Amino acid sequence: MRCAGDIEARQVDETAINIDPIQVGGRLTADAMKAVIAYGDGYSVCDNCRKPFRLDYIKKPPIADFHADLATWLEMDACRVVPGARRGFQAVCQGMVQKGDPVILTALSHYTEFIATESVGAVPREIPKDEKNHITPDAAAETIERVIRTEGKTPALLFVEGVDYQFGNHHDIRGIAKVAHSYDIPVLYNGAYTVGILPVSGRELGVDFVIGSGHKSMAAPAPSGLVATTAEYAERIFATTAVKGDQTGRTFGIKEVAMMGCTLMGVTVMGMMASFPHVKERVLAWDEELRKAKIVIDSLLAIEGTKILSDMPREHTLTRIDTRESFDRVAETHKKRGFFFTSALGKKGITGVIPGATKIWKFNTYGMTESQAEYTANVFLDIARENGLTVND
Amino acid sequence: MSQRATDALFQSLFLLTDIRVMLRESAPLHQLSAEEKEKAGKLLKSVRRQIDILEEELI
Repeated sequence: MRCAGDIEARQVDETAINIDPIQVGGRLTADAMKAVIAYGDGYSVCDNCRKPFRLDYIKKPPIADFHADLATWLEMDACRVVPGARRGFQAVCQGMVQKGDPVILTALSHYTEFIATESVGAVPREIPKDEKNHITPDAAAETIERVIRTEGKTPALLFVEGVDYQFGNHHDIRGIAKVAHSYDIPVLYNGAYTVGILPVSGRELGVDFVIGSGHKSMAAPAPSGLVATTAEYAERIFATTAVKGDQTGRTFGIKEVAMMGCTLMGVTVMGMMASFPHVKERVLAWDEELRKAKIVIDSLLAIEGTKILSDMPREHTLTRIDTRESFDRVAETHKKRGFFFTSALGKKGITGVIPGATKIWKFNTYGMTESQAEYTANVFLDIARENGLTVND
Repeated sequence: MSQRATDALFQSLFLLTDIRVMLRESAPLHQLSAEEKEKAGKLLKSVRRQIDILEEELI
């Protein structure tokens, strides 16, 4: 079925259970889909934009209130919506980092964190992960010391992921923030896999910046996200324009430089706003999500040879799994080779695993219903049995 | 201008969106429980009502 010209109508989530590690938290709520219908046109939120002509001042629809609500919800002082977490990283770098400054990232940082530092000419330096794939306060301290010794400068900023994209593991953010602050290094919390799916308080974590992803974890259209900060840094990050045209003498009011004026001017912010009441509610049901994840994890672990590479018991719905001694053994002799697995999953209505993956791969159970979790668990067991693998009861 | 037709159009799209979410939540088999069937039935009835309004207003 096509929706226009050669563009196929995307029906992935209507026809299958999606376990794609990056997609599930960004699927729209019904209300967000309705907002998409109503606000699909370009500058659709600008009908009632009045002086001082800035997105976060718009009262109808209530975008100003939404900004205030986001900050309150995250227990931070100020918040802006941005086109994706990556633009949040970039905005913070732009406000906090000078060319040549060292910036601390981690061995589990997303590539966009590196690119954000590169965009301001900073020098990225990584905190190594330990043998359990954790970023620890001790490793942060050692890295800061190493960087000060070798670069001759205190790092301008430290990035750390609340939950990393590789293993879906939690890290000791409070401990790391405490270490960084003892060197006067501000801390950016990357909440791309937390903000919108589990409770997050910037105040409790003791961080200076909270970044969230609308399209990854807040049931919002892409590209969307947020950057929240404290009163201490708000003016610096959200500095307003001071430039003046030399021929026309024009100035540009209170547009914020790092935001490039206004950010999400239509369907993205409206989708994010429409989902927000549901998002606030769903973060409180995180234990329920972990319980459903366990249904799937338990079935996979019942397949002999299968290992979970993420922390156990799981404290996140994103999981890294090693099936080299189970499904990959089948792939060695199967006529479809590695593609047998995703092909079998597809036939049974499960999607989201990288085609051909049978060695180490990731999946995410977030947002499944109970019966979908049970169905998914049974599908893995069925595929294992159909291909001669041993399933332990 | 027909505000009634415009409202009926949006309302029907919103109701169909609720059915879309039902498809998502019951994928891949789409086997609805008795309660879900009742909900789907109500939604479809409401969609038909909106389409009737559109016909009245536009045709």
